[in-house]
Amino acid sequence: MHKRKVATVQDPQSPNLIPMIDIMFRLLLFFLLGADMAARETATMVLADADKSKEIDPNRDETEPETTINIHHEVAGDGACPIYDNGGVCRVKEHWLWSISGKSYTKETIGEKLKELAELSPEDHVDPDAKKVLSRRKVMIRADKSAPYGDVQKVIEMCGTATLYKVAVVGALPMPEK
Amino acid sequence: MAGGGDAEDNPVAINVIPMVDVIFCLCVFFMCSFKFKQLEGKFESWLPRNKGAEGTPSDVIKEIRIAMFWDEATSKVRRQFGMRTVDDDGEMTTLIRGSYEDWRAKGEPNVPVIIDGDERVPWSEVLKIVNIAKGLSIDNIEFALGKKDA
Repeated sequence: MHKRKVATVQDPQSPNLIPMIDIMFRLLLFFLLGADMAARETATMVLADADKSKEIDPNRDETEPETTINIHHEVAGDGACPIYDNGGVCRVKEHWLWSISGKSYTKETIGEKLKELAELSPEDHVDPDAKKVLSRRKVMIRADKSAPYGDVQKVIEMCGTATLYKVAVVGALPMPEK
Repeated sequence: MAGGGDAEDNPVAINVIPMVDVIFCLCVFFMCSFKFKQLEGKFESWLPRNKGAEGTPSDVIKEIRIAMFWDEATSKVRRQFGMRTVDDDGEMTTLIRGSYEDWRAKGEPNVPVIIDGDERVPWSEVLKIVNIAKGLSIDNIEFALGKKDA
């Protein structure tokens, strides 16, 4: 008797993975290069619109001393703030933080930090009006759009006290039209 | 690149499945953490060199002052230009422009726009006035500060 052959399950077609790997490598490269892995100078926040503001030059002179002060909303211990989360204006004082390079400061401690930063980059002459050496460091104040104006005022006042007089406030520019 | 060559040229078959898995995971990670950058602009506001930040002298009358109050009950800002309450941005622009042109005609082109706001007023409302003033080519914009604590 003729013995019947037992059919074996075989996949006759193996997909060619090479083009897919190529594309995935390219995607990976794109996201790797696009990812912002630098130490964050800026905190995540929603900035107020300021279409008449001067665009911050991304290629500005990095040797010019500059400090960014963030005034942003954050609830301690990963808690939630329903008012802020729903687009409202939160006025709980503890929810508004001031930070420089990712480190938070209070109204009591930020003055000392600003003084320290001002002393790092003094102007090379005594200012004839102020009769003292001022700081050439620029300060950028980035405040969340619903941050209390009082906090911004306080930061400006502290900068003035710490001889930091080059102060700029930051807003969001509209996306350029194509 | 990974392509090129016949499979028969290479006697050693490499199992690429784990690598594809890892690249998939990496791709998903970077795709999830990817964020488009918001364009940012700045208003430079050099502080007075000799004084730092101080309260505006009370005897200054050459000014365009905009008062801003915070209404806790309604969570809304009330803006006042002189004695007039102004809700509309267009109206505010017209008023500031009119006042600025008056001062300029009187030979005072450097008259400041003073923003005198309650400390609870949202920053966006203050920046809106700065934006309006900048749009009218007014460079002298001041933030009124409260009296220093004794």
